[in-house]
Amino acid sequence: MKFTLHIWRQENARAKGHFETYEIDNISADCSFLEMLDQLNEKLINDKIAHPVCFDNDCREGICGMCGLYINGRPHGNDDGVTTCQLHMRHFHDGDEIWVEPWRAKAFPIIKDLVVDRTAFDKIIQAGGYISATTGGVPDANNILIPKHKADQSMDAAACIGCGACVAACKNASAMLFVGAKVSHLALLPQGKPEAADRVKKMVCKMDELGFGGCTNTYACEAECPKQIKRQNIARLNRCWIAQAFGRDRRED
Amino acid sequence: MNLPKIHSITKKLFVALVGGFLLLFLLFHMTANLFILRHDDGQWYSDFCHFMGTNWVVKIFEIGLLGFIALHILLTIWLAVTNRLARPVRYHQPSRSKTHPGSKLMIWTGILIFVCLGLHFYDFYMVKVGVVKGEYMVSVENIGKAMQEQPNAMFDEEVIGFLDKIQKSGQLSMGSDMIHHLTYEDKETLKRLLPGSDPEPDFYYMTREKFSHLHIVIGYLIFFVIIFFHLMHAFPSAFQTLGLNNYKYNPIIEALGKIYTWIIVLGFAAVPILVYLGL
Repeated sequence: MKFTLHIWRQENARAKGHFETYEIDNISADCSFLEMLDQLNEKLINDKIAHPVCFDNDCREGICGMCGLYINGRPHGNDDGVTTCQLHMRHFHDGDEIWVEPWRAKAFPIIKDLVVDRTAFDKIIQAGGYISATTGGVPDANNILIPKHKADQSMDAAACIGCGACVAACKNASAMLFVGAKVSHLALLPQGKPEAADRVKKMVCKMDELGFGGCTNTYACEAECPKQIKRQNIARLNRCWIAQAFGRDRRED
Repeated sequence: MNLPKIHSITKKLFVALVGGFLLLFLLFHMTANLFILRHDDGQWYSDFCHFMGTNWVVKIFEIGLLGFIALHILLTIWLAVTNRLARPVRYHQPSRSKTHPGSKLMIWTGILIFVCLGLHFYDFYMVKVGVVKGEYMVSVENIGKAMQEQPNAMFDEEVIGFLDKIQKSGQLSMGSDMIHHLTYEDKETLKRLLPGSDPEPDFYYMTREKFSHLHIVIGYLIFFVIIFFHLMHAFPSAFQTLGLNNYKYNPIIEALGKIYTWIIVLGFAAVPILVYLGL
């Protein structure tokens, strides 16, 4: 297969970026998008055309959340429920023009080319803090009863890999789906209850402070999430926020 | 300038709560508008307007409503600006993500509705307040009462001349106890001569007159196409923001949102169409 690639090139965070156009040929329909970029980089190095294109990647099996490219107007490209590393070139047509951009958000500054700094997500998780857990012997498996559907919902929320596609897809660069998932997977379980109110407050405050936008219920995040995190998590985040706002100040307990 | 720190979710909660109130108000407003379709010389509609204009509970609600509309607009604009700033460098490619209908246009449809609302206020609310000149009416009963209060008026040439003028111009329609189609000057004269006669804005005939012009009817219908898109998203969105959203209720909320939107849009649109067609 043959493609025309328009790739965002930017030397560093402060430099002015621009699109560079590259032609690439002999691409197998079964290779992944990142493998296609590997081949492009080999060509750029061997033919001494330019510096290789920088892009984030790690596991290349859709579980680490490192890769993330905005391809033809969609985060992770034109396939549903996959990360960029799992996007295969068979989803494109031979001779297609492909526009590749980095995630664009104030909270995700560009490091180089297509690599963005997603430390903001780590900061939100850090703001959430820890859960209280008893130390000592191994607890009995049935010590704390958890309904199956709650465990399932919690697990679904915990599937979030923090890739940032929700922020990239959202017209407001909002991190509500991410924060919703992170708040939900603990709030749904009894182990997460003791700090639930504090957690949601601190995480939302941090989210606002880091410059993410607000949610306008467009649900582009839900459509583009590679782990198919549902909008119900945002509703739960809103519920938890209301609960903590009207709840007692925990310092008075 | 240091703006007070209100968290993004709190702002949205207020937008949703106020929006919910406005959704209820629209139903009420639509029901009132449907009274215009009755061929009763504005009896029901005028009675309703009279109640709305004089009842003190309604007046408190009116202030609340205006405040809520202002709050809804201010908060959404504030949110829109913050949201815009969250992505200083825009994407080159337009987004191709699947989104909820109308959701991306909310701020724009909102601004258009605000502009149209300005016209609506100018045409009706400002007439009610007395800032803009409209068309007026007065009840024969009130004139009678006012005459009794001022026995001298019966012999006042100016009063007799004025009442004669009204009668001659055929403004007293058959079988009705209201005198319609008074001009602003007529109203002022009447107020001066017979202060107790209490002339009121004649919204029934003002509306019917406006909807006899095709361009106003078309403009009004376009206004409701914009409102359609705004409401389509607004209804389920308010539930989501208030956290009243889960797997079980989502389809019901979505369906209710569509039913509500169609009722509102068709209810409001029926008035100009039927009035223009003379039905």
